[in-house]
Parts: sequence; C-alpha cells; structure tokens
Amino acid sequence: MSTTQVDKSAPSERARKIGGMYRTYWLVMLVAVVALSLVRIATGADDITAANTLRAAILSACPILLAGMGGLWSERAGIVNIGLEGQMLLGTWGAAYFTYNYGPWVGLLGAAAMGALGGLLHGLATITFGVDHIVSGVAINIIGLGATTFLAEAFFSDYQYGGPRQLTGLDGLPFVTVPGLSDGLKSLNDQGWFVISDLAGLLAALTTKVSVVTILIAVIVVLTAWILWHTSFGLRLRSCGENPAAAESLGVNVYRYKYVAVLVSGGLAGLGGAFLALVAASGFTTNQSNGRGYIGLAAMIFGNWNPFGTLGASLLFGYTDALRLRSPSAVHALLLVVAIGLLAYAAWRFYQGARTSAIVLGLIGAAFLVWFLTTDTVPREFTGMTPYVVTLLVLALASQRLRPPAADGQVYRKGSAG
Amino acid sequence: MRRTTTFAALLSVSVLALGACSSSDSDGGDKASDNTSASASASADVCKDADGDGPKIGLAYDVGGRGDQSFNDSAYAGVAKAVDELDATCLEGEAQDAEPESAREDRLRQMADAGANAVVGVGFAYSDAINAVAPDYPDVNFGVVDGFDPDDKPNDNVAYFSFAANEASFLVGVAAAEKTASKQVGFVGGVHNDLIKGFEAGFTAGVKAVDPSIKVDVAYIEESDLSGFNDPAGGKTAAAGEFDKGADVVYHASGASGSGIFDAAVEAGDGNWAIGVDSDQYLTATADQQPHILTSALKRVDVATFDFIKSVADGSPKTSYVTYDLKNDGVGYSTSGGFVDDIKADIDGYADKIKSGEIKVPTAP
Repeated sequence: MSTTQVDKSAPSERARKIGGMYRTYWLVMLVAVVALSLVRIATGADDITAANTLRAAILSACPILLAGMGGLWSERAGIVNIGLEGQMLLGTWGAAYFTYNYGPWVGLLGAAAMGALGGLLHGLATITFGVDHIVSGVAINIIGLGATTFLAEAFFSDYQYGGPRQLTGLDGLPFVTVPGLSDGLKSLNDQGWFVISDLAGLLAALTTKVSVVTILIAVIVVLTAWILWHTSFGLRLRSCGENPAAAESLGVNVYRYKYVAVLVSGGLAGLGGAFLALVAASGFTTNQSNGRGYIGLAAMIFGNWNPFGTLGASLLFGYTDALRLRSPSAVHALLLVVAIGLLAYAAWRFYQGARTSAIVLGLIGAAFLVWFLTTDTVPREFTGMTPYVVTLLVLALASQRLRPPAADGQVYRKGSAG
Repeated sequence: MRRTTTFAALLSVSVLALGACSSSDSDGGDKASDNTSASASASADVCKDADGDGPKIGLAYDVGGRGDQSFNDSAYAGVAKAVDELDATCLEGEAQDAEPESAREDRLRQMADAGANAVVGVGFAYSDAINAVAPDYPDVNFGVVDGFDPDDKPNDNVAYFSFAANEASFLVGVAAAEKTASKQVGFVGGVHNDLIKGFEAGFTAGVKAVDPSIKVDVAYIEESDLSGFNDPAGGKTAAAGEFDKGADVVYHASGASGSGIFDAAVEAGDGNWAIGVDSDQYLTATADQQPHILTSALKRVDVATFDFIKSVADGSPKTSYVTYDLKNDGVGYSTSGGFVDDIKADIDGYADKIKSGEIKVPTAP
C-alpha cells in the first residue's frame, strides 16, 4: 500500500519539477523577446532583432555549441577536456582535406575522425596514463595547432586554391529555405511591430538559408540529451563522472565509458571545426578556431553541464558576437537590455527576500542605465568585449546554482573501488 | 603495463619521425610547381643554377616560404629579377611556424657566413633577428620587409622597407566609389591597430574624393587580438552585415580572413564586389569568387626587394627607413579580371595627383 504511494508520487514530483523548469525557460525567453522588442522601439536599433542578424547569430553559435556539446560528453564522464580548441583545429584540417578529395559529406566525417583522434590522445593520457587533465588538454591544444600547421603545409601547398597556410574554395553543404514562409516572415520582420515583428525575425532566421549542418547540430543536441539522461548507457556514463568507484563496484567498465565519452567529445569538437571551414566560411586557414573551443567550454559550464543550458549559452555568445561584428552601433542598445535584465532580476531577488543581492544587482543595473542614457555610442574597445562581458555578467548571476559532476577532473585508477 | 610502454615508445618514435618529415619537407624546392594559378616565377628555382658574378643575395622567407602566393613569392620575384638583370646569385631559407628567435638569427648568420652581401628578411618578424645579427657583419647589407628598428641604436647597414598602404587604399577607394550603385561601400579590417587604420583612412579618403555623399561602413573583426587576421568566419559575418545594409563594394585589410569577405560578396550576388589587399588576390581566388573581385591594393614587395639589391650592387646601399609609395612604384592597384578597365584613367589621374603632392592621403582616420 505504502510502496505504491511512493512509486506514484516520485515520478509526479519529478514531472512537476521538470514542468516548472520548462515553464521558467519559456518565461525567460518571453521576457527576453519583450525586452528586446521594447528596446528596439525605444532606440530605433532595428538590427538587434533583424532576421539577418539572428541568422548570423545562429551561424556564430553553431561551432561554439558543438564544442560545448563535446565538453559536455567528456565532463559528464569525469574528464575535463580543455583540449577542445586543439581538437577543433584538427577538425578544420580534416574537413578541408577530406572535402577537397572526397566531397563535403566525407569532409564532415573526416573532421569528426580527426577530432576524435585528438580525443583519443587525451583519453590515452588522462585515462590510461593518469596525466592531469589540464596538462594533457593544454598539450593537445599545442599539438593541434602544430599538427594542423604541419599537415596543411605538407598537403595543401600543391592543391588548387591551396597554400602552405590555407585552402579555399571548398565545396559547401546545401542550405534549406522554407519557401513562402521565409519571405512572408521577413516582410513581417520589416514592419517593426511590437513583439510580432521580433518573433517573425526569429522564425525567419530559422527558415531562411539554414545549413543542413545546423539542422544536424540541433539533432545532436536532442540526441545528447536523450542518450545521456534517458538510456542506461547514459546513466552509466554519467555515473563515471559522479562516482567512478561506485560505478565500478556495480560492474561498470569505467575506462571504457570514459574512452567513449572522450572520443565523442573530440569528434563533436572536430565537427565544430568542420562548421568553421565549410559552413561559416568556405575555406581553411591555420589556427582559424580563434578561441571558440574555449568559449564552447565556458558555454557548457555556464549552461550548468546540461545540453539545453549549453544551447542557450551558445546562442547568447553567438548573438552578441554577430551583433558586434555586424552593427557595432547596435551594441549601445544592448546596454539598455542589460540594464532592464539586471533590474528585473533585482526585483525578483527582492521579492524572494534576498535584500543584499537585490540592492547590489539594482545598483549595477542602474549604472548600466545611466551609462546608456548619458552616452550615444559604446567605445570600440568595449564593443569587442561584448560577448565576454555579457557572459561574465550572466555567469556571475547564475554561478550560485552551477553544479559540475562530482568527480569531474579527478584522475581515476582502475580498481580503486577496492 | 608492458603493452602500454611499447605503445608509448611507438608513439614517441612516430612523433620523432614526423618531426623529421617536417624539416626535410621545408627544403623541398618545388612545392608550388603543380599550382596552376601561382605566379609563373614561383615554378622554377633560379637560385639553384644562378652563377653570375653580381651581388650574392640571401633571401630569408617568412613562414610559408616560396609558393605562398603573397609576400614570399613577391620577394622571390624581386630576387629573380636581380638574378636576371644584375647577374646576382642567391641563397634561400625559410622560417617555420613558432620557431625560436635564435633560429631566425642562425638562418641570417649562415647566409652572411656563406658570403651573401645583401640579405633580405621577408616580414616584420625578422626585425629583432636582424637587429641582433647586423652589428656582427658590418660588410653585409640587410633589408627587412615591413621591418622596424626595435631599439634606439641605429644600424647603418640595415634598411627597413615600409609601404604607403594608405596610398594604395586611396586608389581602390576611388575604384569603389566609381563602381558603387547604392552609394554605400564598406571596409573590413582584421585588427583595429594603427597599421590597419591607415588602410581605412586611405580608402575612406579615396571614396570621398570621388563623391563625398557616399557612405562608408567600417567594421573590424578584432579590437587588439591578432587572431582577427585568421578568422574567415568572422570576416564573413562582418562583410555580410555591410552587404545586407546596402553596401555593394567591400574592401578588406584582414589577411587570411579575406576569403570570408570574398565568400560574403559571392553570397550577396551579382553586382556586389570585394576588393583584395597586399597581393593581386584575383589570381589566387576561386572561380566562384573571381567575378566579384574588383581589384586589389598592392604592396610591391618585389619592387622593394629588387630596388634594395640594386642599391647594394651599385655600391650605395640603402639604409634606415625606406618608404615605397606611388612615386617609386612601391604600391599600386591590380587590373586582373578587367573590371576596372573602364575607370583606369580616373584612378591613374588620382595617382598622378598623389605623386605630385596635390592630394595628401591621410594615415589615420
């Protein structure tokens, strides 16, 4: 009698919690759209929700998201993968080499394979030899840069449109546009109506010239969430990141799961490199990842080691990055968005009874508001930092609730379960 | 455990083997020989069989070496001309990525010890090495492309070649202004530093000289991080932003990020142009990109290199800072593709005005 009650109440409790979480997501998104829309009308900075800006934002977010997903896989199994940057670089070379010789689809596979090779090296060092994860990761970044530079010089110098440091003119992958919908939404976006035009801009960006790789990435995010949280394989993999000794005592082959995780991790980072070389631009240059691997890692932490959190963080990065590159003047309008966001959060904290943090947040929000009202432009130096400042701000607000896997970054030796 | 040790040993052996490949590869001389679009001068190595009794040249390439279709090839073209016209002989050496400063110095010393009397370092990265080596070889003359003197002590046997990039940018600005239909053009810089600001200033001045009402959009990929020269994706985002907002000609000074700017022009469609920089980028662009490359602002490293060697051969070697500008043909614009043929007279008219001093091109925006 009592046991059935427990069995009944446990899932419903969980469902309510998850339902509440999704409600919060939707609420936050709605507030963000309304705030952006208000700011757009108040400042006349149409670019901040223009379909083309949002499309560029998605393109900028994709490689970061893939790196973030890579980080998620390995860290969920307890391996800190700081080598994402190097694995991404290996991926750019793999994409270029295999696309040139066998076409872009094989290029994607080649990029994933090269990235996975970097992941294998990381796994060998950290899992089999027990090297410190950070040391190995840094080494992989150096190896990634050195190897791609060497390989590019060795292979691409003789190729058409190639040189010792670049290979341009690679075949691209197809784009998908939803006919009718795309044009209609774009013209709606141009109307400048409150909220409706902004949402139309977002939908237009999702229906106009979307790369098939972007669609593939969306599938990867959903698959990652499903595999890691809804299969027994995923449960075992995550148990290796939370408490490998307990996992091993229950018969889980910890080394094998860690290897799988780190291989997938490298492969995803390699795909991120392929996105840079094949979709975001049509060419390879040495060292073109430009720190996106590190940003992906930050996006994953900021997304609380969770696929959809990582997605949100990557989109935020991509958005601010696209905005600063496309319309530096619109970054000024972003100050108002930040001010509104901070003040709203402060009000929420005050309502919750956290007086001190509410006052601190309110003061910072007010400072941003004053900054917005007393200036017409943001200094160039600040524009370049936008993505990082916004992230730092959100991270500072969210960090109290972040929880990494318990055994993340610890070296685990087989048999230590006793 | 034994298995892993064996594996580790194998791994380290293979790493060593790879390293050996790397150094032997850099000595191979005919890397660009299969490249159909490379300049013809790069296909044969004149240094191998030059045996004249003119000056002996040491040519120290930057990373990439001969076949890079840019500065290194251009410097080689200058040397090839010297071999041809001055009966010169030459030695070559190439930098590796991330090599230590001492490797650059050794390369220069080897050339000087081998009897070279005119040593040219391609790229500003040789500035420090040449500053360290030059005092030990007072009879050898050194030249650095884009170089600078890193300390206060002047060297009387070193020449630093600098290029008036603002003047070349002015001329392509004129071309952009004459070709734009939307009365809006764009500029994408790699990094927001003084060097690239000079490109922006010259370009804007050229555009405004033709029609002050034309709007110039300016974007930089990075504020201070040099990775802005290596980011095609960022370049494409910035250029696409300018095309979306109505610009139909975009000039870039962003190094390897430039391929992203060309991609953006292709995506923007017919009637949209990109302008290349430093070398004639029409020659190295892909078939898709070529119809969109209006012209390129040129830095004539070959002219500077030949000029320096000639000054050594004549017995009055150039020293200190030497500026190459329109007057001595050190900068210019390219006409490959024939897209500027109809406005060539206008551009040359402005070039004459700059040469005569009638127009002063600003160096900062």
